[in-house]
Amino acid sequence: MAKHYKTLSRRRVLASTGAGTAAALLGFPSIVRAQAKELVVGGAAGFALWMNGTVSAAFEAKYKTKIVYEGTKSLVNLEKMQKNKDKQYLSVVMMDDPVMILAVKEGLLEKLTPAMVPNLAKLRPGTVHMDGMWANYLQPWQGIAYNTKSLPGGFPSWADCYDPKFKGRLVIPSLQNTEGLANLVMAAALETGKPIEQAQFDIDAGFKKIKTLKPNLLTVYTQIPQALNLLEQGEAWAIPSMFSSNVIPKEKESPMKMSAPKEGIFVGPAGICLVKGGPNQEMALALIDMLLSADMQDTLQPETFAFPSNTAAKPPLGLAADVKVYNLDWGFVAKERGEWVKRWDREMAI
Amino acid sequence: MKALRDPVVLLAAPAVLYLTLLYALPLGWLLAKSFSGPAGLTLQPYTEFFGDPFNWRVIGNTLGSALWVTVVCLAIGYPAGFALARAGTAMQIAMLVAIILPLSVGVVVKAFAWQIVLRRDGVVSQFLVALGIWDEPQRLLFTEAGLVLGAANIFLPFMILPIYSVVKLIDPRLSEAGATLGATPSYRFVRITFPLTLPGVVSGVAFVFSMSVSMYVIPSLLIGDRFQTLSTLTGRSFLFMRNEQLGSTTAVILLALAIAVVVASSWLARRLGSTE
Repeated sequence: MAKHYKTLSRRRVLASTGAGTAAALLGFPSIVRAQAKELVVGGAAGFALWMNGTVSAAFEAKYKTKIVYEGTKSLVNLEKMQKNKDKQYLSVVMMDDPVMILAVKEGLLEKLTPAMVPNLAKLRPGTVHMDGMWANYLQPWQGIAYNTKSLPGGFPSWADCYDPKFKGRLVIPSLQNTEGLANLVMAAALETGKPIEQAQFDIDAGFKKIKTLKPNLLTVYTQIPQALNLLEQGEAWAIPSMFSSNVIPKEKESPMKMSAPKEGIFVGPAGICLVKGGPNQEMALALIDMLLSADMQDTLQPETFAFPSNTAAKPPLGLAADVKVYNLDWGFVAKERGEWVKRWDREMAI
Repeated sequence: MKALRDPVVLLAAPAVLYLTLLYALPLGWLLAKSFSGPAGLTLQPYTEFFGDPFNWRVIGNTLGSALWVTVVCLAIGYPAGFALARAGTAMQIAMLVAIILPLSVGVVVKAFAWQIVLRRDGVVSQFLVALGIWDEPQRLLFTEAGLVLGAANIFLPFMILPIYSVVKLIDPRLSEAGATLGATPSYRFVRITFPLTLPGVVSGVAFVFSMSVSMYVIPSLLIGDRFQTLSTLTGRSFLFMRNEQLGSTTAVILLALAIAVVVASSWLARRLGSTE
């Protein structure tokens, strides 16, 4: 076999490089452009691990676009959109539903349609909001976290929280925290005997019942790590209304476990939206569609322990298939929450 | 103009600029915000605030906890200041290190440590059960007593050090002179030593009270959300309720309280100084 040796002259190198670049630009323009693309996404700080890991890797491999994830609180993301209204730098934002409502009111979001995001048509009822202004993707579920050493029998019912044997042993979230609403709504259901769907609007009854929980309270938390510390150390025996994503990953190494009580579980209002006037809208829609897809929701299940919104996705690990799932009316919550927090301060004070 | 050319004045310029930009201007904004309404200047935020009985409870919590912390610090810090001033050199160094070194540990770390100490199975509970004061272990965590105990530990150096600095300057011969004239030890303490230490006490009280009245992290971690103080209410107004006016109002009230304490203690210190 004859060997062909070619001499590399400066002219030849320049010519071939130039030709290659031109061919790339002309022949594969979208790829070349995409390689330089970045998509800035705002979301919860706690999601950074899987957003920067699994999601970022899958998205970059498919679309050659790098995700720059800014993890913070929902209200801070809202503020970023407000401050940059004339020149948005965020393309996609993942926030809680009550904050989404505020963003819609300020005209910060672009409506989503199945034509733009095909997976939008495959979501569970009640997970696409305000005619497509945002959608829920993976929703962390809320049940009762308990210490397995103190309560080896588990925590089978929300009604058990009111048992005097738990005197000074329960930690509950403040109403400031999204997960705090579930206790108030469940209290209303226990007080009135109404189903959750109706009881959530009878907050007076909720306050009447939850006030009787005071002797059982160790404290009311605003910071999740503090509450989990108390549970892990055994000072607290249970945290009614804790997010699955905070407890299930630690179940193997810590004496705590999530219970899905017989009355049912609540799902968190984890929404994703397209920022109006945000850069790189094509890729932004591609990311939203990816996060709403059954494939990605199944892939993320072992990392997020959350409830999938896509009907084709598998049910969450460790939950019975017939578990009752409740999603609160976050529009009503957003309207009333300020007054509830004021009332909470007064009626739940030491 | 002559004063401006004074190099001493120029030396203060960076500090003045820094404080103007980062302290005076934001403070001015805070004050303006607390007095502004849709129709311009108004006292409405203050009348609304003071018209709500819950807010009086918040003020009571703030002042009450600060007062208890100050009393506990004084009770521990006053004799400790004497012990420090009268100790031998090696012991004095050891004591100073023991008092000052904990200041290098962050408040959050110390407050978290107190969470462990104040638990049902914590050291304090075990100690009180061992002494027979409690029949069974109880928790101090998330109680007002726990808050006072934890905060007093954190602020104690600010009481000890001013008292120590004053005691150190007291001429021991004054007390000896009193003794030669037949004064009993308690009489000498009440009439000679104690009045001379008062400026240190006033400074310590001013330090500890003004820090306790505005503490935020310690109550958040040691007593929780169910015990609102002006600081926690201010934080919540800005960070959660997005109610800048309420946050500004509570912050100004808190500032007024802190300034009142500093002014009153300065006045007291001057008055005591003039009667020496």
